[in-house]
Amino acid sequence: MKTGLLFILLLLLIPLVVVVQDLLPPLLPAQERILLLPMLFCFGAMALPLLPALLYALIVGIIQGLILLQVQSGQVELGLVGPIVFYFGWAIFLQMASDATRGIRWEIHAVASGMVTLSLLTGEFLILCAKRGSFPLDSIVLLRITIPAAAALLIAPLLYLLLRSLVSFQTETGLAKLKSPSLDV
Amino acid sequence: MKRFQIVALVLLVVAAIACCFLSVGILTKLQSGFLSLLSPLSRSGHVVQSSLGSLGKDLMTLDQLQSEYDRLLLENLQLRAENNGLRDLKEENDHLRTTLGYSERSSFRLIPAVVLGHDAEAWWNKIKINRGSKDGVAVDMPVITDRGLVGKTTAVSDDMTEVVLITDENCKVASKVEGTKEQGICAGVRAPAGELELSFLNKLADLQPGQKVYTAGVSGGIFPSGIALGTVKNFHARELDGEATLEPAADLGNLEEVFVVTGAK
Repeated sequence: MKTGLLFILLLLLIPLVVVVQDLLPPLLPAQERILLLPMLFCFGAMALPLLPALLYALIVGIIQGLILLQVQSGQVELGLVGPIVFYFGWAIFLQMASDATRGIRWEIHAVASGMVTLSLLTGEFLILCAKRGSFPLDSIVLLRITIPAAAALLIAPLLYLLLRSLVSFQTETGLAKLKSPSLDV
Repeated sequence: MKRFQIVALVLLVVAAIACCFLSVGILTKLQSGFLSLLSPLSRSGHVVQSSLGSLGKDLMTLDQLQSEYDRLLLENLQLRAENNGLRDLKEENDHLRTTLGYSERSSFRLIPAVVLGHDAEAWWNKIKINRGSKDGVAVDMPVITDRGLVGKTTAVSDDMTEVVLITDENCKVASKVEGTKEQGICAGVRAPAGELELSFLNKLADLQPGQKVYTAGVSGGIFPSGIALGTVKNFHARELDGEATLEPAADLGNLEEVFVVTGAK
């Protein structure tokens, strides 16, 4: 029941986070954007038990795929396969990390957010290079990958605290995973 | 692991695999549905963003407000005078065209739209606008401002539309250079830095910085002829063709209002 509430809360936050990340101004110098969806996903993947975490990964993967979807001459350039596999893989890895640390920890969440953002942007770039047949690796591309990842690393603790305060409304006992001593910050 | 969990896991994997094989039509409908879901949130977010943005303006002193009022009054008078002059010119132009026997050159039917936000993706350059299929917007319609071409519509929901900008690598526009017979394909780059690349030009083309570039309007294409795209910044010859870097005519970094071209009048 408690897991269900957390799951619904995290689900409702997805469209909100997508809108907010679109409204955030780009960073200088190469117009890099801050991605909030990977940070939210990391929290869900670490705070939820395995099955809900995988379901959450599936939903985030579909949403990410729909955000990236572009139809060119009747052909889909990037479908849902990549994002779904990507988030599934990370959900399994983050579950293991969460189990190893006996619950979600803000440091792990921050590092995971940075790594998920970094690998997401790198993966997108490499797939586009393969599909479009060129590999324009320059300083702007590197900035576009590294700065959002660094921003995720820095912003993730704030999101973690916000989500944790929302979760604490649910019950006095809290979720099994969130109940662990390692949650205390 | 309990039997229920195993069944649920299998179902989840099957659902994930099924999602990976959805057809283009279903994906487009899903995307349209997702845009409809985001629409009220995006609109509310835009209102909040605009209110926050105008906060600084609201805090002007009375002197500043008075001088702003005087400036706007003067600008209004200037624009009225210009408008009157242009109306006369239009009438004269129409008269000359009719006299010469040319068919009236149709102007565009435009739908004004407000930009709700810029997509946060790194490799795609897209914006969202507050018009959709309810307003007559469809996929692959040109989007312009008073200064030039902005892009084309890609995904359309009832009341929100995604527009891919000309600085995106996927938005290719047939273009011609003012005062020359040079034609080429204009597109953005993978990590757009706000510039355009005009390729497939003659490698011996004599292009000068400042020359204007317009849409060429090829048959069966999306973009009508004669819309300003940008100005030439530099030109360099490659092994087989020439390539120019362009500064976009429209200020794509600060878009607030745009027009969707739905057809000719």
